[in-house]
This record gives sequence, C-alpha cells and structure tokens, in this order.
Amino acid sequence: MASLAPVIPAHVRPEQVFDFDIYADPRIGDDVQGTYSAALKGAPDIFWSPRNGGHWVVQRHDLIAEVVKNPGVFSAREMQIPRVENPPFFIPLSVDPPENVPYRHVLMPKFSPRAVAEMEGRMRALAADIVASVADKGQCDFVHDVAARFPVSVFMEVMGLPLDKLHHFRAIADTYFKARTSEAIQASSQQIFGIFNELIAYRRETPGDDLITHFLTVDMGGGRRLSQDEILAMCFVLFLGGMDTVTNVTAFTFQHLAGDPALQARLAAQPDLMPRFAEEGLRMFGVIGTPRLVVQDFDAHGVSFRMGEMVLCALWQSGRDPAKLDDPDRFDIDRAEMPHYNFSTGPHLCLGHALARAEMRILAEEWLKRVPGFRAVPGVRHGFRIGTVIAIESLPLEWDPA
Amino acid sequence: MVRIVFRDDAGNAAEIEARAGQSLMGSAKAAGIAGIEAECGGSMVCATCQVYVAPDWFERLPPASAMEAEMVEYTRHPRPTSRLSCQIMVTPQLDGLEVTTPPSQR
Repeated sequence: MASLAPVIPAHVRPEQVFDFDIYADPRIGDDVQGTYSAALKGAPDIFWSPRNGGHWVVQRHDLIAEVVKNPGVFSAREMQIPRVENPPFFIPLSVDPPENVPYRHVLMPKFSPRAVAEMEGRMRALAADIVASVADKGQCDFVHDVAARFPVSVFMEVMGLPLDKLHHFRAIADTYFKARTSEAIQASSQQIFGIFNELIAYRRETPGDDLITHFLTVDMGGGRRLSQDEILAMCFVLFLGGMDTVTNVTAFTFQHLAGDPALQARLAAQPDLMPRFAEEGLRMFGVIGTPRLVVQDFDAHGVSFRMGEMVLCALWQSGRDPAKLDDPDRFDIDRAEMPHYNFSTGPHLCLGHALARAEMRILAEEWLKRVPGFRAVPGVRHGFRIGTVIAIESLPLEWDPA
Repeated sequence: MVRIVFRDDAGNAAEIEARAGQSLMGSAKAAGIAGIEAECGGSMVCATCQVYVAPDWFERLPPASAMEAEMVEYTRHPRPTSRLSCQIMVTPQLDGLEVTTPPSQR
C-alpha cells in the first residue's frame, strides 16, 4: 500500500519521536520479539512514531497497565492504526466499561477458569491426536501441522464450527490482520460475518452444546435476548482471537525450544515444569498489541496525549521490561516472577487467558511425550508478520523418530 | 492499619496489614500473597482473585453484588463462602478477618 507521509504534531517533543514502522520495520527478524526488544532499547518508554499516520507506542509494563485501566481517556472503540472510516466493532472489546461487563459474563460459561479445567481431558485428546499424526514422520511444519491445528480445533469445537475448514479460516484471519485500508478490512470482515451468519441460522434450527446456541438462548436480564448484530460482533472478535493467538505464541516458544536441547530434555524428564515453561513462553513471545484511541486530552509522564490520537500498547514488550525483571531477554523457566501483560489487564483482559495457558501447557506436554528431542531444519527462514498482531509463518522442525 | 490473615491451601498463615479504603485484593497483592492472581486488576472479569472467607466473617461482610455472585461461580474451585477479593473493601470493621486462598486460581 502507499505509505503515508510522516506525521509529527507540534505538541510532540523531538526527544519523544522514535522512527519505527510497526508494520515493516527492517530491524525485526525471525526472532520477532527479541529483535523488537533490541530495536526499542533506545526508544523512550512512551514514544511517537511518525509512521502509519503517526501514533504513540507504550512499551513498558506498568505504563501499559495505566493505559488499559483508564478507558475514560484511552478508549478501545477504535483499534486500527492508522485510523480508518467505519472501524470494525467488536463485542465486548470495543465497548468501554461498564457496558462491556454483561457481555463478558455471557462468555464466562465457556472461557472461565472452571470451564477450562473441565475441558482439559477433551483438549488433551485433541492435542495427542495432532501430535501423533506427525510424531513418526521425523519432520513437520510445526505452525501448519501442529500449532495452528490444536488451538483452532479447540476453538472450533467451542464455537461448533466445522473442523475441515480450519486452514481456510486461518487464511481469512491472516488476511484480516494484514488489511490496513477501510476497503480491505470491510472485505475481510464480510467474509467472517458470512461464516457466522450461516452458523447462527443453522443453530437457530439445530441447537447444540456450543457457544452460538448459548448466545441465542441466554437471558441478558429481564428476558432480553442478544440481537443478531450483537452475536455477530461477539463472534467476530472470538474468531480473530481464536484463530491466531495461541498458535503464534506456541510456535514462537517452540522456535526457541528447538534451539535448546538441554531444556527439551529437562521438560521431557520433568513434565511438572510445563506450567512454568508455558508461562515463560508467554512472557517472552507475546503476539498481541492493543491499540487505544485518545478520547480526551491527557498529560502524563511528560507526554501530551491529544484527542483523536492512536496509542499502541505493545504488550509483547511488557514481559521484557528491565525495570520488572533481570535479564528480560533470557528464557529462564526458573525465574521467581514472570511479569507480563500479554493478556493485557483491566476490563478488557483477554477472555482466553485461562484457555490459552491450558492449551500451551497441554500441547507442550503431549509433544514432548512423543517427540522428546527435535531441532529447527537448518538454513530455512521462518517468515513473520508484524503489526498490531504478530505471527510466525512457518517452523520446519526435524527429529529422529522413535 | 487493618490486620488480615491469609491462609494458603496447605494451611500456612500470613498476617498482613491492610489499608482501609483499598480492596482486599489490592492489599494482598501489595503484601505479596502468592495465592491471589488478580489478572484483571479488579475489573471483575477474570475470576482469579477468589478467597474463601471464614464462615463467621462471611455473614458479617457486605453481601456480594449479583454480578460478583455470578462471577464467583466461574472461579476454579468455588465454595459456599467464596468471594472475589477485589470486591471486598477493607474497613476498620474487618480487623482480624481471616480468608483462605484456593488450591489454584485457574
């Protein structure tokens, strides 16, 4: 797409400007979060990037919490950088509190810590099948064959979506995250709405044990039912959150693990370390940035936020904050604390925080049971996508089958 | 200062000094109580700051809102005296309160 002219408003001081293109910065490489951390070492905690229409980036742990917990100033109702006409509308994400809370509660029966614990057996069976399908082959593309299939299969079961469309749906989500013009976003959104219009119509006729049926029947208070538009706006964000996120965090974590045979051996011998491994992977390899729109002028930390400006909370930087932990760029499952906000925090905390952690842990457990030692195929570029959401394109692994 | 006792699942007790006006969750986090996650920081959306309130104290606390009561049902190990610690405001009347953290928050 045509690049926009650099923008530096008069109220932004020269020392607050740091030239960084969130969609294509040349300093970013296959170790996306590691190279990101290195590239931003010299940048202020809150900086203005003149690229992509001009926007703020908040890159430190505690400052990110301040922004996402202040929805009166930093609204989630627009999340596109640069801003577009008719921005996508998600429920509950685009709804500022307290109006978002009833919607969150509608979702809890399928995503709560308790619901996730109840799904453990089913998730483990799915993970075991997926790993078993590649274990004796001695090689696979971990992204396409494993990391994409597992969390997306879980998600599709929860939603009641057909599993044979898995890679087609992932391609739609990828197109969405690459889109930056109003037209491209609309086109890809319409594809997603098409999937769910069809599914909602089907569930009106054929109720099941799935989330759509729950949306169609839940009492929002006083007998009010969710409207078709509300259900679509909820499915929209669930689809985008469910297709791409755990897949990518898991794949980046395995990209690291592939180069650390000692850690592979330790995890295979001591599976009880897996929750620590999953959490350290989450801390190091966050993939979500959460944009906010400034809805009233606000001065803090020497920064003048002005109405109408976009602010990107670079959540993947939150776990690599040297003020919060020593040697933040080192992967170390023995750390006492693993502070990060890769699920954000506050009223828009990721709904899938418990599900994502369980999925990462279960998949690592099932993988190391069957493939205890593996390495990245040498000399291959893995490829990645950056922006407000980060993705890894491939991860060819090889091992000696048992 | 208001004294509050946190017991973990194994029965180990820790007494903390809480400040009136803060939430019980905020006081626990500030004192480094390990059994409280509080992923959302008090927005009542994560269900990871559950505590079991000692029965004699449970009756004396201001009751849970409908929203909190619903949310408690989604915690990992709910019990009849479960509360979300982010929804309990510390007051001088709570001096001596005893709560227990669940086996896990998720």
